[in-house]
Amino acid sequence: MAELILEVLPLAIVASTPLLLAVQGELVVQRGGMINLGLEGMMLVAALTSILSARASESALLGFAGGIAGAALIALVFGVFAIHLHADQIVTGTAINLLAVGATSFVYRELPPSLVTQLVAIQGSTAIVPLAWLVFPIVLAIVLWRTSFGLRLRACGENPSAVVAAGHSVVAHRWLALGIESIAAGLAGGYLSLAYSGFAENMTTGRGFFALSIVIFGRWKLRGALAGTALFGIAAALQYALQASARDVPYHLLLAMPYVVTLLILCGVAGKVRPPESLGR
Amino acid sequence: MRRLAYGVVAAIIAIALIALAGAALGHSPRQLLSILVNGSIGSSFAIEGTLLKSVPLLLTGLSVAIAFRAGVWNIGGEGQFIVGALAAFLASRFGVVASLAAAMLAGAAWSSIATAMRMWRNAPEVLTTILLNFIAIQLLGWCVNGPMQESVRQYPQTDTAGAALPSLGGLPIAIVACVVAWWMLYRTAEGLRLRATGFNPFAARWAGVNVSAQIARAMAISGAAAGLAGGIELLGVTHRLFERFAAGYGYSGIAVALLANLHPLATILSGLFFGALVTGAGELQRTANISAAVATLAQAIVILILIVFGAIEKRRRWPS
Repeated sequence: MAELILEVLPLAIVASTPLLLAVQGELVVQRGGMINLGLEGMMLVAALTSILSARASESALLGFAGGIAGAALIALVFGVFAIHLHADQIVTGTAINLLAVGATSFVYRELPPSLVTQLVAIQGSTAIVPLAWLVFPIVLAIVLWRTSFGLRLRACGENPSAVVAAGHSVVAHRWLALGIESIAAGLAGGYLSLAYSGFAENMTTGRGFFALSIVIFGRWKLRGALAGTALFGIAAALQYALQASARDVPYHLLLAMPYVVTLLILCGVAGKVRPPESLGR
Repeated sequence: MRRLAYGVVAAIIAIALIALAGAALGHSPRQLLSILVNGSIGSSFAIEGTLLKSVPLLLTGLSVAIAFRAGVWNIGGEGQFIVGALAAFLASRFGVVASLAAAMLAGAAWSSIATAMRMWRNAPEVLTTILLNFIAIQLLGWCVNGPMQESVRQYPQTDTAGAALPSLGGLPIAIVACVVAWWMLYRTAEGLRLRATGFNPFAARWAGVNVSAQIARAMAISGAAAGLAGGIELLGVTHRLFERFAAGYGYSGIAVALLANLHPLATILSGLFFGALVTGAGELQRTANISAAVATLAQAIVILILIVFGAIEKRRRWPS
């Protein structure tokens, strides 16, 4: 068993790279007091905009920039509703996911397939892997827990009135959090299409919801988020290994595995769970 | 009355935005609108299509309305719809009534998994219900490719179900369900407790409501409604199960319920509207090669516009 895990570990790390980015983005936003259920939609839109941008420019860098722009567009919608209109964040997030599915499918069918698909992964897209597993966590650890901005952002999630009383703007901090999430989700969505064969309808297949579950599993801590993603990645890699070796296990039941694992992860949060005090308000 | 006006305006704005989006991508908005209208209510054939699509939407909308009224986020209509249809298929040889009863039971059981996870493990139902949707989709995929595949084993689909409803036979059932739900919510103690739980669970607890049990029941009723939708769709429309059976009816139910302001009777109107939209969008795809996803897009836009209206109203009532 240990040998098998060592064997699949590299695969697990690569395969769960977009998930890890999404987890970290959502962690920042939830620490700031918002639940962005529309993360799934953000990644989906980013997957489309990144491949469009990459095909037009033939550059991975501009592809990812396009992904970030697409994710930011969705973040803009979410921010206006959640921060300024004080709308229910679950309803808003659900609407955003529908919006993303509808809009990407609509645009996708209007475009010639050559614009949104590719035969080989665009060069340079794998640079995201170390970025997600090393650079992003270190930067987040410093920004969220070692700067006064991070302290204020976390206060926005715990007690927004205290932030106001201290003379800072909750609105500005939450927008910045959404900005960080746009970068993360944009890279994640971009990786999904740039590192593989381009865009396909509904290609995020629930990764946004996995990310939200892992944030809870990790108890809103960075280390927990990394551990949760790694655990999830190993489970996913074992599934690939099983898919290749055990041919008698029905394909669809294997496909259901990540969702079952996520359910178990959500149920495995034993003991006391304390979300940020003002989460979702 | 004002709420009704809001709903109508939201629906009109959403369709106008779709026409604009179509124009931006080079389709004539006029042609787009005329196909949308003719394809949904322009002929008796189109009207029948609209009514057929409205039946599942009415019921999934009702499912969402009941759950949201109780303050639980059942986003799992899609999965409950699928397991409802699976159970209906398995029970279809015992007749229509047994088949639909099985559909309701299965839907209720599927939604209750999320309830159990919330009660015992503190897992938020908004995520568990969504995850259960994906699991139900794969379960259906496995069933139609494996143990429940048709006897000739040619396509990934089941044989014809052992019982059938007339194609529009689901419509009276769905309307009766909406009326019964209205009666339950507004004319019985159970409904009062359910609404109180959603309105303010702390106050409800002080008033002697067993909030956990109330949520569990609301979730089960909600799942039963979505399961019934799946059963009716199988017995009345498709007669077979196949991989893409659910076609997003569960998620669309959220838009249906919100446009109806979570009111069971208004759900009938809102279900008919979205039924027309889905049918018209199907016609757009067939004749103008525009993705039927515009219907999904319109649902999202309707929800967002309704949120804006709600925010404006709140601001007017309590000026800051």
